[in-house]
Amino acid sequence: MKKYIFALTTLQLLFTISAAAQGTGGSDFLRNIGKIYVVVAVIVAVFLGIVVFLIYLDRRLTKLEDQIKDQNE
Amino acid sequence: MMHKNWWKYLGVVILLYVFTVGMLVPLKPGITEVNPSSVKTGETVTFKVWGYNSNFTQAQTPTRAWLKLDDERALIAERVVIKSDTMLEVEFRIPEYLPVSKKVQDFSLILDNDADGPSVLPSAVFITQDSVNAARGTEVWVNHPVEELSNVSGMTFPFRNILGETIRNTYFHVALWLAMFTIFIAGVYQSIQYLRLKNPSRDHWAVSYTTIGVLLGILGVVTGAIWAKNTWGAYWSWDVKQNTTAIALLIYLAYFVLRASFEDPEQQARISAVYNIFAFAALVPLIYVIPRLTDSLHPGAGGNITFGSQDLDNTMRMVFYPAVIGWTLMGLWMVTILYRIKQIQEKLWEA
Repeated sequence: MKKYIFALTTLQLLFTISAAAQGTGGSDFLRNIGKIYVVVAVIVAVFLGIVVFLIYLDRRLTKLEDQIKDQNE
Repeated sequence: MMHKNWWKYLGVVILLYVFTVGMLVPLKPGITEVNPSSVKTGETVTFKVWGYNSNFTQAQTPTRAWLKLDDERALIAERVVIKSDTMLEVEFRIPEYLPVSKKVQDFSLILDNDADGPSVLPSAVFITQDSVNAARGTEVWVNHPVEELSNVSGMTFPFRNILGETIRNTYFHVALWLAMFTIFIAGVYQSIQYLRLKNPSRDHWAVSYTTIGVLLGILGVVTGAIWAKNTWGAYWSWDVKQNTTAIALLIYLAYFVLRASFEDPEQQARISAVYNIFAFAALVPLIYVIPRLTDSLHPGAGGNITFGSQDLDNTMRMVFYPAVIGWTLMGLWMVTILYRIKQIQEKLWEA
């Protein structure tokens, strides 16, 4: 459960960053740097996807370990 | 150890190259804004022009500027005043008549010097005329063709309006879709092999491939949505490309629901193999055909092929193709881990 809360919080943070990086107008922060933070947010999202996959693997392996433990007992 | 896992390390090394080069190579200089963007004929107008990554002050030859309609009809600037590396003023004496029989016409602004090379802002200026006289307009507009443009070498990614730096997402978003497609093809191949050979390990491969394909697909949608929020203004704009990919992914998600609904492993494997083939048959038209038939906001859309020669220049190819291979190898690594877990699970159940 803690892992889910962690993942959700991180995702929430990511969307907040990308929403804050959003810009219109001529001379604002984002336009000056040509939306590079959108690219950063996209890379962070892919990284989080890989983390979610690792959490999923972790849970499946824990289940297998429990099964092995049960069989040994 | 090394000889067996070489391709996993290769994938990591390729992706390191993609991250480094994909982020560090600068964009070619471009134009972000022209002000005023709307003027009338018969006036002498001074436009303020803002550049991106530009080096206006470092030009050795005089900077030239044009308002261009097409290859023949273009008007050269009377005067160019450089204010800073990223700002200059151009003065145009706009003739009484436009070379077209329309009241309003949009013109591209072209800048050229030996420091930055040529840069273009399409539809930069809209010019309005009170009365139409295309013949007289053509006479005054064709005197200064855009030619003898400078040739600046160096490794850069192209500057595209709207995209800006996010052109780099080609390596972190577009490449994910191609990796996903490769993984789905491998999955459907294993499903077909299962139906032919009835070997349970083929089914385990198929479900491992499909899981990672869906993971890559979801990442593709999420990275697309983050970009869309900053470009189109909303995470989800109900654009045709967003909708069809969402449908395709839902079809694939149903594959897992279907699997979970069978008790008998053989029945589960057989029916989900058949379903996987149908899901793949739906995927191809959904993500490659339908978005091409209609108009979409997506870059490269509107009848264009996304990977045409206009969209990818040679510098981008040097990063994009490795990115596709790198993400695919990374996906395959994940697939093999899932498959091995599945095999151990089976062993435990048998015991």
